[in-house]
Amino acid sequence: MMPIWTKSGEKHAVTLLKVQDCHVLRYVSKEESGGKTAKLLVGGKNVSPFSKRESAHEIFKEAGVPLKQKVTTFNVTDDAIIKPGTPLYAAHFRPGQFVDVTAKTIGKGFQGVMKRWGFKGQPASHGQTKTHRRPGAISTNKASKVYRGTKMPGKMGNIYRTSFGLKVWRINTKHDIIYVNGSVPGHTNCLVKVKDSKLPTYKDCNKNPPFPTFFADGDEELPEDLFDEEIFQFTDPSVTFA
Amino acid sequence: RVSSDGKPPKFQPPPKPVIIDKKTQKEETRFLSPEFIPPRGRTDPLKYYMERKDMIQRRKVFNIPEFYVGHVLAVTTADPHASDKSKRFVGICIQRGGKGLGATFVLRNVIEDQGVEICYELYSPRIQALEVLKLEKRLDENLMYLRDALPEYSTFDVNMKPVPRMDHEEIPVNKLQVRMKPKPWSKRWERPKYNIKGIKFELPEHKMKAAEKWSQPWLEFDMLREYDTSKIEAKIRKELSEELEK
Repeated sequence: MMPIWTKSGEKHAVTLLKVQDCHVLRYVSKEESGGKTAKLLVGGKNVSPFSKRESAHEIFKEAGVPLKQKVTTFNVTDDAIIKPGTPLYAAHFRPGQFVDVTAKTIGKGFQGVMKRWGFKGQPASHGQTKTHRRPGAISTNKASKVYRGTKMPGKMGNIYRTSFGLKVWRINTKHDIIYVNGSVPGHTNCLVKVKDSKLPTYKDCNKNPPFPTFFADGDEELPEDLFDEEIFQFTDPSVTFA
Repeated sequence: RVSSDGKPPKFQPPPKPVIIDKKTQKEETRFLSPEFIPPRGRTDPLKYYMERKDMIQRRKVFNIPEFYVGHVLAVTTADPHASDKSKRFVGICIQRGGKGLGATFVLRNVIEDQGVEICYELYSPRIQALEVLKLEKRLDENLMYLRDALPEYSTFDVNMKPVPRMDHEEIPVNKLQVRMKPKPWSKRWERPKYNIKGIKFELPEHKMKAAEKWSQPWLEFDMLREYDTSKIEAKIRKELSEELEK
């Protein structure tokens, strides 16, 4: 995470996400998948072929792409279908867009009820016998059972969670890095899924994104760094208020 | 030459000339701002490379002088609420923290009998000017104990004129031993973990001895804590000099 300043001198914290060897692997049509839209399987981060079993190699052989560590699905409309085998770059996103980021949270192992669910526990002294971090009551008398989903100690973390509505401040096309506002679930160098935001407030925020994606062999020549309008670029002199 | 055994003397090659290359020595000891050195961790070095690019870009436009803890600096920042739209603060640098773009330094001064400490970000675009008024290093890297010292050690004239620097070589080390206010202090500065050399402790002998109980002499031999930055520093110095010449 890194600080970033706007033209008015405010500081925002920003997470760097690297787009590492992403390729489209397969197109699954609406009827085949049984869902409402067509799906595209996308894989990221090259990994050695010995880390996956032989039966998992098929998708990558068909697409003609080295083995990927993670394969995810994106729900896509019919006009946004991409041919399997095309590489995806960071320039697929533009500064000023809003994005949802999904990743597996940091695993904390088996944790008690105070850390996992934020219970208050019991006082440290004043006669408490062996009860300082326990859940206390788990149900009522009338229920005479414990409801499903009652908060209890258990394995915490290492589950998929999403941060919604994160602004993209800057894109580096040379190293394929996306600078995304705020924090993102997961530990450093973990695998992350970035999608266009589903929040209704940001529905109209994407003004002319590269559709269906940014093709590197196309005619467009992008500069090395794409900045949002409000970012203070370090090539400018210091901020002064008129 | 006659040897003790009567045999011919063993051939001794002439001593090799020791070449001290002053240029490379000077390069190695030249100042590298501490925020360029990446901390130990499992982060991808690409992240530190991107931060360094931004830092170099900022240094090309705005001059960040070489300064250490103990220097007296004057900082002019932009402020939308001030009448002149800019604020000037003079103070002694008591701490330099943070790595990368978020590097900070804390300036301390006593204004009208009120101690004031302001933490500035080195790379913030709000900073319009950064002048070094007095160059002097102190015996410690962290002067937080000035909070518990007598206020005369933290007062600096706001309209101080910059002291002209004589040589381009050494920065003088001020071996000043600071006198403290009576205890209690904000931190127990006499304890060996702070390793402070710049205080004149006027505590009784038995208290100083009792403070030694908290010493951890095994820490300096702990190999896992060693972080040798010489090679990293050399690489970063090379990168810096190349980029700044462009």
